[in-house]
Amino acid sequence: MGFNIGSVDPLFLACFAIVALPALAFGTIMIFTWRRDNLSLGISLTCSTIPLILAWWLFFTVKGATLAEPIILQVNWMVSDAVVVPFGFHLDPVSLLMLVIVATISWLIQIYSIGYMEGDPGFARYYADLSLFGMAMLSLVSASGMVQLFISWELVGLASYLLIGFWYEKFSASEAGKKAFVVTRFGDIGFYMGLVFLLYFMKDISLFGLGIADINNIGLTQKLTEAQITLCALLIFCGVAGKSAQFPIHVWLPDAMEGPTPVSALLHSATMVAAGVYLMTRLFPFFAASATAMAVVLAISTITLILSSTIGMVARDIKQVWAYSTISQLGFMAMGLAAAGLAHGTLFAGYYHLTTHAAFKALLFLCAGVFIHHFGTNDFFVMSKDGGRKLMIPMVTVTIAALALAGIFPFSGFFSKELVLAQLWHLDNKLWVGLGLFGAFLTAYYTFRVIFVLLFPRPDDHPAWQTYYVREEVAGHGHGAHGHEEEEAHGSHGHGGHGDHHGVPWVMAFPLIVLAGFTLVLGFMQTRIEKFLLGESHPHELNYLLLVLAVGCALGGIGMAWLDWGRARANWSGFLSKFPMLENFFIQKWYMDHFWRWFLNTVIYGTFSRIFTYNDRRVVDGGVDAVALGTIGSGRLLSFIQTAFLQLNLLFMVLVLAGVGIYLLMGR
Amino acid sequence: MLVFNQLETYLYLALILFAIGLYGVLARRNLIAVLISVELILNAAMINFMAFNRFVAPHPAVGQVIALFIMAVAAAEAAIGLSIIIAVYRKLKAINVEQATELRG
Repeated sequence: MGFNIGSVDPLFLACFAIVALPALAFGTIMIFTWRRDNLSLGISLTCSTIPLILAWWLFFTVKGATLAEPIILQVNWMVSDAVVVPFGFHLDPVSLLMLVIVATISWLIQIYSIGYMEGDPGFARYYADLSLFGMAMLSLVSASGMVQLFISWELVGLASYLLIGFWYEKFSASEAGKKAFVVTRFGDIGFYMGLVFLLYFMKDISLFGLGIADINNIGLTQKLTEAQITLCALLIFCGVAGKSAQFPIHVWLPDAMEGPTPVSALLHSATMVAAGVYLMTRLFPFFAASATAMAVVLAISTITLILSSTIGMVARDIKQVWAYSTISQLGFMAMGLAAAGLAHGTLFAGYYHLTTHAAFKALLFLCAGVFIHHFGTNDFFVMSKDGGRKLMIPMVTVTIAALALAGIFPFSGFFSKELVLAQLWHLDNKLWVGLGLFGAFLTAYYTFRVIFVLLFPRPDDHPAWQTYYVREEVAGHGHGAHGHEEEEAHGSHGHGGHGDHHGVPWVMAFPLIVLAGFTLVLGFMQTRIEKFLLGESHPHELNYLLLVLAVGCALGGIGMAWLDWGRARANWSGFLSKFPMLENFFIQKWYMDHFWRWFLNTVIYGTFSRIFTYNDRRVVDGGVDAVALGTIGSGRLLSFIQTAFLQLNLLFMVLVLAGVGIYLLMGR
Repeated sequence: MLVFNQLETYLYLALILFAIGLYGVLARRNLIAVLISVELILNAAMINFMAFNRFVAPHPAVGQVIALFIMAVAAAEAAIGLSIIIAVYRKLKAINVEQATELRG
């Protein structure tokens, strides 16, 4: 079979380059150039700039790919009997838009990291890992079959593990990496089983190879029974919950903040954790075919939303706050999708929230990164004391992003949150929209808690500091510990120079400004994006009651935050301190970490491990020992045959053989 | 007429060789002599093969291949046997079969 590069579809070539170049960068840096920082940086940047350009080019030029009729470019990768596993690219508006998001944000973060990671001994390794992540994520986004998607999914998990544990000599970082890996793997077991079941069910209707288009078609045509779809959808949702940090396996994401802040921005807020929600969007028709699964998803994502918002209200590490807000916004996206699935809506609301969230959450983290880099602490109270508001660019951009997160007009979050709430409004049970609004209120509150503390520093003798120190003791063993560890890590990693430069280096400021631009613009692109995604733009009927409620909740949250944290007389205790039990419950993160510790100790170590250990000791080891002992014993038993008269033995042997020979020849 | 060139002649020859070899293996105490006797047994088997090949087998090459094969095996066996003998000698300072009583039960 001749292979002529000119005869290959240029689209395929472009997609292939998007995925292959970062992989090439990873390999090259890891094998050849890991000693040379600047060369590695150059390779990595080149190999992320070209995919960026190609992704935007695809976004604007690929015509005729719709959700119903995607462009599928694939080759057969693995053929086993009737099962043909494809490898290739599934281009439709959903994947094209996500390609652009991932390529853009990874590129911006690579630029930003030039400043942030400067002088780090693992600089080249850092860029290699980022490239690995880029390759895995881009391949995940454009995968044409579930097998390829699953492989990329796991590779993304690997990149995440490597980057969380990037400062591996720090114990908490390597622990956090391990935790992220194991916890998400826990969800992926479900995902994998879902795929196996799906393959098994699809075989009966002669569809092989788990192509994404085929799966979605099943959802639309109802060829499988509802029970089968529900089973597969729920199992696949386990994977989604792991990756997108949904209750109850969200516990890895806050710990993942141990990684460098740009990594948190890229992986653990904007793109990687969105992979779960992206998968739901990807398979939306399939998921929507099962109302039961959608109801479960809705319930879980609502719990996630409330749980993480409440924890975000008491965290004092700026990255922890943003981490919990990420979890809650991911819950919000999943709610939007689930509600759309239940009410026969479109995937637009949830997916649009994913898009806007990617921009403003990356921005929030990058701003946090600037503060952390500059002040060498994660505690935003200390940042405030050290003059955080004097850093103009990050302060302005973080406020923009916070307004977007809280859902204030005209920032992008307002539009997307509005749409998700509208989806929830269509449900018969108004409880969901109520909880969604409550979540929006909490979001605005904890976001502006950070902003107000940063904006209005208190003199050292202000009574607010007393609450702060008292609280420090209360929360001492909780999240308070994190901040100081990271502080030390930064100190030891060559960020010693922050006393010298007063401004923000342009490589770090530039991504902030670009992302702030996106945050401002994306909201007004709503109809265009909707048209791009769905092929048509539904006239968006304004629900004034909901609009007023949503804006009221957001403004109420901000106002509450002003009363508790902003105004001059505020003593920084928060309205929660009126309910000490509740507050403690939140500070202990709803005891989820305790629960999992208990679960590990009793169920995993106490039950399964014990059974397996018993099996190993008694059955496996015991079996081997018994065989060995039996051999020794029978050897003892038979050793009388050995008389040390070698030739006597030989004589017997010859005689017996002769006897046997004679019997065989004559005996019959 | 006395015909020497027939199957039985060779079979008797092989029988005699085999018997000598067996006697050597069973009666001699010197390990090297035992080894040489084993070679005699192998040669007896080889002559059998060649004889049957010459007088009975339709295809002329089969027995010869086996004979070559036995030669190769005999060479390998001699190498291993000699090294065992050397090891025994190092241990016992003798190559007398009767002194190798380590494994007596």
